[in-house]
Amino acid sequence: MANIFAFAEQRAGELRKVALENVTAARALADATGGEVHVLLAGSTGIAQKAEQLGKHGADVVLVCEHDALKDYNAEAIAALAADRIKSGGYRVAVFSTSAQGRDLIPRVAAKLGVGIVTDVTDARIEGDAVIVKHPVNIGKVIATASIASTPAVIGLRPGNTTLVENAKAARVEQVQPVGDPSASRVKVKEMKQGTSAKLDIGEAPVVIAGGRGLKSADGFKLVDDLADAFGNAAVGATRAVCDDGWRPHSEQIGQTGRVVSPDLYIAVGISGAIQHLAGMRTSRTIVAINRDKEAPIFKIADYGIVGDVAEVLPALTAAVREARKSH
Amino acid sequence: MASGASLIPARHQPELPIARFLTGGAPDPEHVPMDVVFVGGGPAGLAGAIELARLIKKDNESGGSLGDIQIAVLEKAQALGEHSLSGAVVNPRAIRELFPDLTDKDFPFRGPVEGERVYFMTGSQALRIPTPPTMQNHGYFIASACEVVRWLGERAEELGVNIFTGFPAASLLTEGEKVTGVRTAEAGLAKDGQRGPAYAAATDITARVTVLSEGTRGSLSQAWVESRGVQSENPQIFALGVKEIWETKKPLDAIVHTLGWPLPTSAFGGSFMYPLSPNTVALGLVVGMDYPDASLDVHELLQRMKQHKLFRQYLDGGEMLEWGAKTIPEGGYYALPKQKSGDGVLIVGDAAGYVEVASLKGIHYAMQSGMYAARTIFDALKKGDTSAAALSAYDRAIDASYVTEDLRKRRNMRLAFQKYGFYVGGAMATLMTLTGGAFPGGKISSHRDADAPRIAGAGERFVPDGKLTFSKLDAVYKSGNATRDDIPSHLIVGQDVPAEVAELYVHMCPAGVYERDGERLVVNPANCIDCKATDVIGPRWTPREGGSGPRYRQM
Amino acid sequence: MKIAVCVKRVPDMDARFRISGDGTSLDEAGLKFDINDFDAWAVEAALQLKEKAGQGEVVVLSLGPAAAQETIRKALSMGADRGIHLAADRIPFDGFAIARALAAELKDGAYDLIFFGKMSPDSSNGIVGPIVAELLDYACVTAISGLEMAGGRGNAKRELEGAQEFVEFTLPAVLTVDEGLNTARYPSLKGIMAAKKKPLESKPAQLGDTMVTIKSLAMPPDRPPGKIVGEGAAAVPELVRLLQTEAKVL
Repeated sequence: MANIFAFAEQRAGELRKVALENVTAARALADATGGEVHVLLAGSTGIAQKAEQLGKHGADVVLVCEHDALKDYNAEAIAALAADRIKSGGYRVAVFSTSAQGRDLIPRVAAKLGVGIVTDVTDARIEGDAVIVKHPVNIGKVIATASIASTPAVIGLRPGNTTLVENAKAARVEQVQPVGDPSASRVKVKEMKQGTSAKLDIGEAPVVIAGGRGLKSADGFKLVDDLADAFGNAAVGATRAVCDDGWRPHSEQIGQTGRVVSPDLYIAVGISGAIQHLAGMRTSRTIVAINRDKEAPIFKIADYGIVGDVAEVLPALTAAVREARKSH
Repeated sequence: MASGASLIPARHQPELPIARFLTGGAPDPEHVPMDVVFVGGGPAGLAGAIELARLIKKDNESGGSLGDIQIAVLEKAQALGEHSLSGAVVNPRAIRELFPDLTDKDFPFRGPVEGERVYFMTGSQALRIPTPPTMQNHGYFIASACEVVRWLGERAEELGVNIFTGFPAASLLTEGEKVTGVRTAEAGLAKDGQRGPAYAAATDITARVTVLSEGTRGSLSQAWVESRGVQSENPQIFALGVKEIWETKKPLDAIVHTLGWPLPTSAFGGSFMYPLSPNTVALGLVVGMDYPDASLDVHELLQRMKQHKLFRQYLDGGEMLEWGAKTIPEGGYYALPKQKSGDGVLIVGDAAGYVEVASLKGIHYAMQSGMYAARTIFDALKKGDTSAAALSAYDRAIDASYVTEDLRKRRNMRLAFQKYGFYVGGAMATLMTLTGGAFPGGKISSHRDADAPRIAGAGERFVPDGKLTFSKLDAVYKSGNATRDDIPSHLIVGQDVPAEVAELYVHMCPAGVYERDGERLVVNPANCIDCKATDVIGPRWTPREGGSGPRYRQM
Repeated sequence: MKIAVCVKRVPDMDARFRISGDGTSLDEAGLKFDINDFDAWAVEAALQLKEKAGQGEVVVLSLGPAAAQETIRKALSMGADRGIHLAADRIPFDGFAIARALAAELKDGAYDLIFFGKMSPDSSNGIVGPIVAELLDYACVTAISGLEMAGGRGNAKRELEGAQEFVEFTLPAVLTVDEGLNTARYPSLKGIMAAKKKPLESKPAQLGDTMVTIKSLAMPPDRPPGKIVGEGAAAVPELVRLLQTEAKVL
C-alpha cells in the first residue's frame, strides 16, 4: 500500500487543468497499490474552497496552505513546503505537471529531497522497487523508458496527456503551515500579465490552426482567425510559403526552419504537406487537414481530413466549434 | 512565346560581377594574418593544406628556418563535407601519394569496385552493353565525397592547419595585380539588407598565397581569370548532376552506369548507381547544361528514371535518406585556364577544371593539383618569393603531369557531343578512345552553355508520389538545407525576365529556387543548395552567409 | 562580475535517430553535434552582461566525454574567457548526477551568476540548472526571456502559458535561459583563433550515484492511418463528433 502525493497548480486563485490531471494520475497509481491520494494546494486565503474540485477527481486528503505570500507562484516557499510535506508523508510517488511552473518547481523539490526525477512523463507505473516512466527524448523522435530507483520518485507529467477521470473521494482538508517565512524569498513575483484573448504562443497553445497557400490571400486568414476565436484556446500558425509571401509574420511559421509545435490538436488549412512543414508538427496528438486537393500529402499524416474548399468548410467548422464550446 | 521560338539564356543573364569579387584598397586594420589560405575545404584544398603542412613540418624538423607558418582553410559550409557531393568512384593514386605510410584499408572508402555494368536504357528496357574502355573502374574505390573530405579535414587539423567552417570568401583582396588575401561574407543580414541582431561583419584575411580551391564554378576563380585575361581556349561548360542516397532492402553488387533514356538524344549525360553498403545505394543523373529543350528538368528526369525497373528493383520498399545536386565542369583540356597562377594566387581542382568527363573522375585530380600547388608554395615560401614568376612553377608542374595528360587524351570527347550530337559524337568518342586521342586531333571549339539556344518543349506534368519520387520542395528538405528563411537573396537576376525564361529557370534549378507566378519570376533564395547551375545559364550566384545551403552527410 | 555558464553538446535534431545494439542508447554514427541552442543563448547572456559591466570573467563548463571540449571551445570563440571540462565516459540521463558533478565544481568558484539553458532537446528534462541552484543554495529563476541587472539585484521576465511573470531576484543566482532572451552571436574568425589559446582544463566529473536509468529506447508507434471524413461543409458535423468522442480534443 503506497500513498501518492499530487501537486495542485493554481493561478489567480483558480485550479489549472493540470492540477486535475495530476490528481487523476495519482489516483490511478494509488488504486494500483491500494493507497491514498494526498494533494497539496497552496495559495492565498480562501484557496481551500478548491479542495472539493480536487476531491471529484480522487483526492482523499487535501493539504491546504493559505498565506498571502503564496498568492502568486513563490518558488522557494512552495518548493520548501512541498518537499517538507512529501518527506513527512512517506509517499511513494510525487506527481507534478511539467507546466511552466512545474518545470521550475519539480527539480527544486527533488533536489531538496535528494531523490530521482523525470519530467515530461507520458506514462508512469510502480513496478516493485522502481517507478517506470515513459519520457519522449530527441523532440519526441524516440521514447525512453526510464526507471526511477528512489522513494519517493518525483515525476512531472506531460500537460494535456492525461484524460481527466471523475472518481469522487473525501477530499478531507488538512491545514498545513508554510516552512519558514514565505515572504523572505530571494525571488519575488512583482507582476503577472495575463494573456488576453490576444494570440497565444503557438508553442504552448493546446490547439494550433495553421494556414497555407490554399487560403488564397492574406485576407483568407480571417477564416483561420475566426476558427481560432471559436476555440478560445487556439493559436494561429502559418507555412513558410505564406510567411515568405508576407501574408503572416515569420514568428508564426511552423516547420523545419520555423517553430516545431506539438499541440493536442493541429488543424492544417489549405496546406499541402511538404516534408519541411510536417517536420514542424508531426508529433501533434491529433491532426486534422482541410484541403481542396484529395491527393495532397497532408492527408497521409492527418488523422481526420475534409476534402473541400476552405472558404466553405471553415465557416461551417467555426460555427460548429462555437456551439460545441458553449456546452463545455 | 510561341512554342518553337528559341531563347538564348545569355541574353538574360547578368554579366559576371567582377568588381564585386575583386576588392582593392588596404585590408581592414583588424585583419587576420595568415601565411597561406585555401578558399574551399574540398579534396583539392585539404590535400593542398596537408601536403604543405607536412613539407613545412619536415623542413622545420631538419633545421629549416621557415618556423611557424599559419595555414588556413576557409569553408562556406557549416561543417566540412556538408557541401561536398560526388558519385563517387575514386582513383586512389593521389591519396596514396599523399599518405605513403597508410594502406588502402586506412582510407575513407566504402569498398573496392567489385563489378561494373553499363546499360543503354529505353523506357522499358535496360540493354547491357560492353563497358567502354574509358570507364573501366577496376582497382578503384567507391566513396562518399563527404566522408573523404571529413577524413582529410581531421588529418589537416592534426597537422595544425586552421580550418574555419561557416566562412565563405566573398571577394579577393588585391593590390594591383597581386592577390593579398580574401574577405569573408557578412552574416546576420535581414531580407532587406539591414543588420539583424546577430550581425557579423566581414573579416579580412591576409595571406602571402591564396589558393582558389572553390570547386565547380568558383566565383572568385572566374573573376580572377577574367580580370587577368587568362581564359581558356574554349569556355568552360558544365553538367548538372542530381543525386540521391537510398536505404535499400536489396543489395547492389556492382557499380552501374547507364546511357540513353530518360535523356533525349539531344542531351549529353547518363546515370550512375553505386553500392555504398549492403543496404545503401547512391544514384544520380548527370546532364550537360547545353540541352536544347528549355523544359528539361534534371531533378524530374531523375524521379522518372527511378520508376524504371532497373532502379526500382532496389529502391522499392526502401527510403530516401539524402538528396542533393551539383554541377561538374566538363570542358576538359581546352577549358583549363591559360594560366592557373599569378602573383600570390593559385587555382586548383574543379575551380580550374580538372575533371575528366569520359571516366567521370575529378576527386583524385583535385587532390593531385592541390599537392602540386603545395609544393610550389613551399618552394616559394623558402625563397621568400610568392610572385607570379615563382608561383608559375605550379603551372609547369601540373602541365607536365599525368593530370593534364589524362585530360589531353580525351580532350574532344565531350565536345564532339556538343557539336555533332549523340550518334556521330558517340562514334567519334569511340575513335578517340581507340586512337588514344590522336584522331580526331585538333581542337573542337565549343560555346558557353548560356549561348546554347533553347526551345520550350511540351513537357507533361510530373506528379511525385512522395515514396519513390519527390517534389523539389521535399527533396530540398532531404538535403539538410535549413537556411534562414529571411536571408537576403544572393542571386543576381537579370532585368525584366520574360515568362519563357522564367520557365527555363524553374526547370533548370533542381532545388525549386525559381517559381513562376503568371508572368513573374519568384525567387526563393533560401532553397539554394549551391549547385551553381544558376550561375551557368541563369541568375548569377554570389557567396552568402556561412552555413547556408545543404548539410550533406554521405553524399 | 564572475559568471559561469554550463553548456552541453547535443546532436542535431533534424537527424534520423537509430537505437544502438544495446537498446539503451542512440547510435551516434553520422550524427552532427553542436552546442545546445538554449546554452548558446545562455553564453550570449553572460557575454552581454560582462560587456555591459566592462569587467568580469565568463567561465564555461561542460560535462561529458572528450568531445565536450569542442563545445567549450565554441563558447570560448564567442568570447568566454576560460573553460572547465568535467570528463565522463557518457553523459548520464540522470540530470541529478550531472547537477551534482557541476555543483561540486562550481561551489568554490564564488560565481555571482550561473547560467544554464532551460533544457536540452535530447534528454528533454530541464532539471540540471535548478538542482544545481538548490545544491549551492543560490536563488534561481528559470526560463527567462528578459533580463536586466542593476547593482546586486536582477529583474527577469518569464513566459508562462498565456501569461508573463516579472520577477525580482537577488544575487548570487542561477538563471536558466529560454528562447527569446537574445540571439547568439556567431563566433568571429578572430574569436576562433583566440579561443585556441584560452585555458581549458579537464578533470574527472564527480557524478556520484544515479537514481534514474534508461531501461530501453523505442521508436514512437507509427500513426495509424487517418481517414477522410467527407467532402465540403457537409462533413463538418461528423468531424466535430469524431473530435469530441474519438480524439477527445474538443
